[in-house]
Amino acid sequence: MKRHWYATPYALWMTLFTIVPLLFVVYFAFTTKSGEWTVANFGKFFKASNLPVVADSFRLAFLCTLICLLIGYPAAYFLSARNFPLGRALVVLFLLPMWMNFLLRTYAMMTLLEKNGVINTVLDALGLPPQNLIGTEAAVLLGMVYNFLPFMILPIYTVLKKLDLRVIEAAEDLGAPPSKVFSRVVVPLSVPGVVSGITMVFMPAVTTFAISRMLGSGMIYLIGDTIEDYYINFNNRNVGSALSLVLMVLIVISIGLLRMADPKGEGGALW
Amino acid sequence: MYEEERLIEIQGMSKSFGETEVLHNIDLYIRKREFVTLLGPSGCGKTTMLRLIGGFEMPTEGKILFGGRDITQVPPYRRKVNTVFQKYALFTHLNVFDNIAFGLKLRKVSKSEIEKRVMRMLRLVKMEGYEKRSVESLSGGQQQRIAIARALVNEPEVLLLDEPLGALDLKLRQEMQLELKSMQQELGITFLYVTHDQEEALTMSDTIVVMNGGRIQQIGDPKRIYDEPKNAFVADFIGQSNLLSGVMLEDELVMMAGKEFPCVDEGFEKNELVDVVVRPEDIMVVGADVGMLVGTVESVLFKGVHYEMIVSTGENRWKVHSTTMQPAGTRVGLSIVPFNIHIMRRESSGGVQEVEPQ
Repeated sequence: MKRHWYATPYALWMTLFTIVPLLFVVYFAFTTKSGEWTVANFGKFFKASNLPVVADSFRLAFLCTLICLLIGYPAAYFLSARNFPLGRALVVLFLLPMWMNFLLRTYAMMTLLEKNGVINTVLDALGLPPQNLIGTEAAVLLGMVYNFLPFMILPIYTVLKKLDLRVIEAAEDLGAPPSKVFSRVVVPLSVPGVVSGITMVFMPAVTTFAISRMLGSGMIYLIGDTIEDYYINFNNRNVGSALSLVLMVLIVISIGLLRMADPKGEGGALW
Repeated sequence: MYEEERLIEIQGMSKSFGETEVLHNIDLYIRKREFVTLLGPSGCGKTTMLRLIGGFEMPTEGKILFGGRDITQVPPYRRKVNTVFQKYALFTHLNVFDNIAFGLKLRKVSKSEIEKRVMRMLRLVKMEGYEKRSVESLSGGQQQRIAIARALVNEPEVLLLDEPLGALDLKLRQEMQLELKSMQQELGITFLYVTHDQEEALTMSDTIVVMNGGRIQQIGDPKRIYDEPKNAFVADFIGQSNLLSGVMLEDELVMMAGKEFPCVDEGFEKNELVDVVVRPEDIMVVGADVGMLVGTVESVLFKGVHYEMIVSTGENRWKVHSTTMQPAGTRVGLSIVPFNIHIMRRESSGGVQEVEPQ
């Protein structure tokens, strides 16, 4: 038996749950409700009311990725430092939220931010005025960062941990003080991890709908919510599928641009 | 007389990692333009010594002077030394040119000057035309050359080399040995070279520092180290040798392997216990009737230039190199001229193990 047969279970799984559904999506996107071929569904994407939603989705996803990078890179850097005490324990702490279902995490976030939630209760006890937290863009952003941060830290941490100490010593040896070692050697060598992290945060962030629904209280409406609405509330899977396809293409383009920074795919990312 | 030529001076330096002492009270100086090799088995502390000079480790005790100035506390990036690392440690995110230019760019050398010096280095290491290549596409030998160029381009006063040829195959290693030596002479830079390969040390060095167990065993030029090892360890480590215990009966007469041998050493006490070294190539195979020792050939190995035979003379087994072959089982005589018998004082730390040819 040749080794490639071992992949059979996965091939079946992928056909059944990825390829076939994708073909359905493509079919629905190019047909009307009654099954006639059309491209009219794609026009809906450019409908006046949808464009700001798409823009918001990409803007929030971009902000979320940026914040994750700003928090995640330094965190991964210190966690990977050889002499950092408790390094391992802290890595586990950072990854701990990943062990829990993300809906649960988001519900937990809700109870924190609600009008009568934990934060406002504490503020009230301190005699401070209650804050309007839930239903704001900041709340959605917070929920996204909270959920996706581990996906940024992990690949960067992995790359930094594998970094050859001798390469750093070589840079020092050639006259680089610590700041130059960081900017000229550590950062460029960690690009694959950064690319991988950005990919893994940006993709789910741009398509998110549950977080915006739960923490946005209906005030924040993203492209993911729009697609969900077309499928479930408007009972129009044809337009929903068309929007999904366009979104997919936009993501592929974004990731493709990002890939150019890591042509060898050393970050072990998904592409 | 060499006082003013001393470039690096190590004074009473010790280094411990936790409880383990890896270097013990080292005193050593290195002269300008000298090719010095630290030679010893793995774990003898030679690499640690190099790292201390490079600034990657701090000594537990003692200090390091560079041109008379104490540099013990100076960080690596401010030392005028450059290192060629064991596994090259090239920057994989930079191409060949930028790897070599790394140090010059940090020192804000002008673009045209960088260009000029990198190209000169590429010529020196015979890698012209490779400047745009990625370092990962190079072979081990080529990467090694780039590592050397990357260090040399900064015109360091001392180049530290940590087993730089260890990963190369024999032929390439021998070529690179000659090239390194000629580069060193051409550029007039002091080389401090670490290796466990005694042949490499003998080929390249002006001075060899033999180390074992964190201590310096002997310092001397290759010929002296080979011909007059100071103790049993050095004799055993440098080249192949027969190592025996003996008794100095009187000046120029030693008793070993149950026989008396005339030798050239004097100044020992009467009946002093000594270690004796005889190199395999210094033992002559003669007729069984005329030899100073008589024995039986136990085994023969063809080594290219010579045959290596193990000859057993009762209690002792001798390693002998000869260009003529005697088949196993032959009775042969062995002869040693006085000049080739090297007598060493016993180390207080213990005597010699039984002769055990490898």
